[in-house]
Amino acid sequence: MTLEEKLLEILRRSASPEAMEWLVKECAAQRADFVQRSFYYAFSGVSRRFDKKGALQLRDGDADDLSAEVTGFTVEAWDQFRLGRVVLLLVLAEQDEEIFIETLEKLLGTADLREQAAIYSALPLLPRGEKLVELAQDGLRSNIVDVFDSVALGNAFPAEHFSDEAWNQMVLKALFISRPLYKIIGIDARANLKLVESMSDLAHERWAAGRWVSPELWRSCQNFITDQIGEDLQRLIDSEQPGQREAVALLIAENEQEGRLAGLQGKVPALIEEVKAGNLTWDQVGRDFGKDCFSVFDDKQSDKNKT
Amino acid sequence: MKFFDSHVHMVSRTTDDYQRMAAAGTVALIEPSFWQGQPRTEVGSFKDYFNTLIGFERFRASQFGIKHYCTIGLNPKEANNEKLADGVMELLPLYICKEGVVGIGEIGFDDQTKLEEKYLRIQARMAVEADLPIQIHTPHRDKKAGTKRTMDVLEDTGCDPARVIIDHNNEESVKEVLDRGYWAAFTIYPHTKLGNERLVEILREYGGERIIVDSAADWGISDALAVPKTAAVLKENGTTMETIERVTYGNPLEAYGQSGQVSESDWEDAEGVDPSALFAGNTLFRGGQDVEEAMAQYKVIT
Repeated sequence: MTLEEKLLEILRRSASPEAMEWLVKECAAQRADFVQRSFYYAFSGVSRRFDKKGALQLRDGDADDLSAEVTGFTVEAWDQFRLGRVVLLLVLAEQDEEIFIETLEKLLGTADLREQAAIYSALPLLPRGEKLVELAQDGLRSNIVDVFDSVALGNAFPAEHFSDEAWNQMVLKALFISRPLYKIIGIDARANLKLVESMSDLAHERWAAGRWVSPELWRSCQNFITDQIGEDLQRLIDSEQPGQREAVALLIAENEQEGRLAGLQGKVPALIEEVKAGNLTWDQVGRDFGKDCFSVFDDKQSDKNKT
Repeated sequence: MKFFDSHVHMVSRTTDDYQRMAAAGTVALIEPSFWQGQPRTEVGSFKDYFNTLIGFERFRASQFGIKHYCTIGLNPKEANNEKLADGVMELLPLYICKEGVVGIGEIGFDDQTKLEEKYLRIQARMAVEADLPIQIHTPHRDKKAGTKRTMDVLEDTGCDPARVIIDHNNEESVKEVLDRGYWAAFTIYPHTKLGNERLVEILREYGGERIIVDSAADWGISDALAVPKTAAVLKENGTTMETIERVTYGNPLEAYGQSGQVSESDWEDAEGVDPSALFAGNTLFRGGQDVEEAMAQYKVIT
């Protein structure tokens, strides 16, 4: 099965037969004779055929199936509108480069929120990614969470195409607006010293304000235990805030030979054992933290938020 | 009682209006694309205007528990700038099939020029092509002839009158509009033009079938509560509740429901308002205001 067939198969489980028939016909018609205006009608007109509240029905094998096509690609949390539109964008991507880019930019410039999310979600599946980098970065400037998420989370495009500078901006903003870092594809592979320094600065700013930070902040430090990070972790080791000691334990287990962490090992032996047994991972820390993320950032709790 | 105001330009209204409308029972509204009090000089201004209609204005309405729909089109006043109008024609196909776009509008005649007719035809054909209802603006001068000419053009273009809502009717224009199978909307302005009492007479004569009441409130002196207030006047004057419900709620829902983009379940099944929601980082509520509390002071009609 091609990727498009796989996507159609997933969509078919929840969408009406009439909607599916329409979509398949539209794809065939646009392939045979691409007409910009009718493509616009189809792309926005997904809202006229599919269920606007329609969720997808996902199965156990879907994640692996899709990831095999494009690393890390997922349709988790998508709806019918988004998937239907992404299928149409695959057809658009077959057009000449000039038409493809021009049409995509026009669609994006006039898109409603759900259409924007669909376009950004499709980025890792589209060709000529090097021409789409600026457009992706624009999506991250949005303060609309769904739009930001569609670029930053579960999307392999930034890890593949962003410069370190753009990557670091994305991760810092994700932290700043309380998005789950473990859903960022390439979060470990793209870590860099500059990012780690900025992260530490952010932590210090928050601490100075009597607030504290997501334990996920420390994830990018895995291979960058600087003097500063070493000091920060000394401070965290006695923290009672969720996930902080777990983060230190993960960093210790990952850097057993690192002299800067030597003094900390004895403080969290049980957690280090959990890491070694595979029961404590960065993803787990992120998921656990996400559960009470909002209450954590509630200002009324700021007195409890001291490290 | 629930109301559906199928013609109101909310970009020109304040949150006071949204609060009053919500308190008075307006559950849904349609914002037609129109001019902004002065002519636009760039196509990009239309793009941003349309983006506002499908974006921030929809969000603003949602913060008061009101469902916001729109019609997209080039109004007749600005159709007289041919270069600009051609640019807008290029833009329209990007918008007219979007979620929550319930038709092409408001289009029609103003001065009844050749250019106005040209763009009325193009947009009418577009509506047929995209299978959408049309919201018609009838001229304020020479209304009777202008309305007749509009219907001639629409029929010549292959439009089905049952999918066209002709707005700003008066006693002179309504008969032919209904006879030819169109929906006839009446705009209730506070001082001049059509007041609430005149509508009582019209309903007495024609009944409630295919008649719609709207406010057309905009940047000028107008009343965003015209629909609920008219309902109150109609009730005092002995119009049946069934007819009142039809012209202020059921009929606009049925007429624009033909787009497939608006149905009663949109507000009946809606979850409550989340006052902490943001749009592009913006909130409408300042300093922890409570939406219920903020609206309670505006309950004028119970």
